[in-house]
Amino acid sequence: MKKLVLSVLMILLVVSSFSVVTITITGWPGNPAEEAAISEIVQKFNASHQDIQVRWDPIAGDYKQTLMTRLSGGQGPDLFYVDIYVFEELARANVLQQLDLYISRDKFDIDDFYPNLVEAFTFNDRVYGIAKDFSTLALFYNKEIFDKYEVAYPTSNDTWFDLLYKATLLKERGYETPMSLAADFNRLIPVIHSFGGRLVKEDLSTALTEKEAVAALKFYIDLASKYEVALLPTTLGAGWLGDAYAKELTAMVMEGPWALGYIREEFPNVETKTGIVELPGLVEKSSMIYTVAWSMNRQSPHKNEAWEVLKFLVTEGQEIFVQKAGVLGSRQSIASKDTDPMKKVFYDSVAFGYPWRVPTPTGIFAKADDYINSLLNDLFAGRITIEKAVDTIEKNYDVWVKP
Amino acid sequence: MKHRTKEAIFGYVFASPVIIIVLLFTIYPIIMVFYYSFTNYNPLETQKFKYPFNPQESIEFHVGMFQDEVRSVDEIKDSFDLFSFVQYDVGLNLNEEQKQAVAEYFEVEKLLEDFVDGKLNKILTTSEFMTTYMAKKKNLFKKYTPQLVGFDNFKRLFKDEYVRISLVNTLLYTAIVVPVQTFLAVLLAVAANLKVKGVKFYKVVFFLPAITSSAAISMIFWLIYSRPGILNRILVALFGGFGFQPVDWLNNPNTALFAIMLMNIWSTAGYFMVTFLAGLQDIPSTLYEAADIDGASGTQKFWKITLPLLRPQILFVIVMGTIGCMQVFDQIYFLINNMRNITISFYIYKNAFEYGNMGYASSLAIILFGIILLITFLQRKYIPEEY
Repeated sequence: MKKLVLSVLMILLVVSSFSVVTITITGWPGNPAEEAAISEIVQKFNASHQDIQVRWDPIAGDYKQTLMTRLSGGQGPDLFYVDIYVFEELARANVLQQLDLYISRDKFDIDDFYPNLVEAFTFNDRVYGIAKDFSTLALFYNKEIFDKYEVAYPTSNDTWFDLLYKATLLKERGYETPMSLAADFNRLIPVIHSFGGRLVKEDLSTALTEKEAVAALKFYIDLASKYEVALLPTTLGAGWLGDAYAKELTAMVMEGPWALGYIREEFPNVETKTGIVELPGLVEKSSMIYTVAWSMNRQSPHKNEAWEVLKFLVTEGQEIFVQKAGVLGSRQSIASKDTDPMKKVFYDSVAFGYPWRVPTPTGIFAKADDYINSLLNDLFAGRITIEKAVDTIEKNYDVWVKP
Repeated sequence: MKHRTKEAIFGYVFASPVIIIVLLFTIYPIIMVFYYSFTNYNPLETQKFKYPFNPQESIEFHVGMFQDEVRSVDEIKDSFDLFSFVQYDVGLNLNEEQKQAVAEYFEVEKLLEDFVDGKLNKILTTSEFMTTYMAKKKNLFKKYTPQLVGFDNFKRLFKDEYVRISLVNTLLYTAIVVPVQTFLAVLLAVAANLKVKGVKFYKVVFFLPAITSSAAISMIFWLIYSRPGILNRILVALFGGFGFQPVDWLNNPNTALFAIMLMNIWSTAGYFMVTFLAGLQDIPSTLYEAADIDGASGTQKFWKITLPLLRPQILFVIVMGTIGCMQVFDQIYFLINNMRNITISFYIYKNAFEYGNMGYASSLAIILFGIILLITFLQRKYIPEEY
């Protein structure tokens, strides 16, 4: 009799272990704090769910390429990170599951998310991903340098010309490198928007040759070439803008919250000297939104279970992530609990920010981005004129974005 | 069975692991590259007919009503848009031929009736769904086949400015790196062949770069070449008095490619040194003795004996070096961030994985293959192997 009970129990155990659904979630590995946060989230979920188990399977290295290969081989994960920059390509290729059904079925509180972040992962009126966190750009300035040269601090109400004025004052009073700028198109975008320009027209052809965008481009380049108040970080001997700022090689940079993390980690004495204000405006305020979503694989055989995991990841999971990894929460209820005063500016900037997503007929902007960055590099080096650059964009943009 | 056939069968059985691996991972991909180069292949779409979905839920979402609220087909007919339903809610991007077939043969009535009758609350794959509701031309919806585009991909590369730039860079790179690295490798081999104290140590030092990962070497050279790096410090210390300004070697488009060349010559010369070392062992010492008796100098012996007798190795190194240089990728990938300095293999990678042009990338790969084939052929023809 005992044997029978035992074998029945064994069979039950085997059967029940087969009924457990494993949901694979994939992203890129973060810093140690982020990794710790995510494994805590996974543990917490697995402990509270018997029938669903989550497996975190990060891809180190070329994330998009690896993910693409896995998806095309039918071996994709159930849930994965989607960077806003590649979102439209994946959405257009129909590899992402639309989530509206699940959202309305479960009355999932999508309105708690910042509207700009929901909009960022919406394509064709369908939601294809839920933002896990986000970053915006703000202006970092070194108070010590401003004090030393007796220049007024930048404020959130400044215009671009106030910025130029303050930088020029610093330069006149003997500080050689008032600010550092990157020759990256995405750093130019907030300038274009705040000058009243736009990136594409309604028919998805380029709007970069319109006069507002050209004025913004000219202003951005002039900061370096005409007024000589801005230098590339590499020219200063730094790897990137945040690095140049943290090493006190420059007084001002436009950077995201990751630069704050870097300063706290590597140059803690710089934090106390640091002020952070919103990016300057002109016709309107503007900033960039960099964000990553959790999306569901359209091929996933366990969509209902995957949705349960996704919900957990962006609710309780996000709370842990914000606390432990110091990222910016995409839910307003979680954001309001974040008491870090230095992060407030980044939260505030999401209201007028634009996601890093340029609509094109194929959803792929990578090629145009490479070409435009190449032009920006040439402009910074003074090899070509603004007119020539605009002319090149005008002539070639359609080829850059066509399939 | 005859002994010979038996032996042949055994031979193939023993060789089969290698044969199968080569067929699967080398020959098959090569054939596929040729095929893809004539198509608009998009890897992201390969699985699109295998997506599982619940048609009822998709229709509910599409028409904005739950199945149990709907009484008749007429209620939802107007809010049902066939193409947007198939494209976005079923998840199939259609080509022109498929669009036409859907417009003509898709049975919307039947689908909506089944929906109202509640027959659709089950999981189907996209191809099962489409073949059920297509009256004809079901074959178009069974599996993904890329569209043939003829020679479009090849025509396109003639107009592409970056094909020209990257090819010129690659050829320039090869033209400089191959002769220099070959010559340097000969010198290193001759030096390493000398009978002096500690020669083993030098051999190790010369060979070390060849077995170091190119990522590690790239990181080290990134530090050396950076603006506050050691190279600039040395140059400023030496030539600062003559007005030398530090150069950002890798970010300056005029110097970046040459910086990579230098690095690659350094890292591969040691590798080819081994080939020449082996070649040097084959040169009979009697030749050198005879030359000594005739009163030849060291330089004369090098140019008249060593170099000519190394000819087979030189040809081999030149051919292998050319192939390697034409395909140079990793150092460019790690260190170059200016589109002016890219090489063709890096451009292939960009097109395949970042620009979403797998077909175009395949046709570029074939062009590169053709160029390497031609160069190797010319080298073999004009540099005779025997002296």
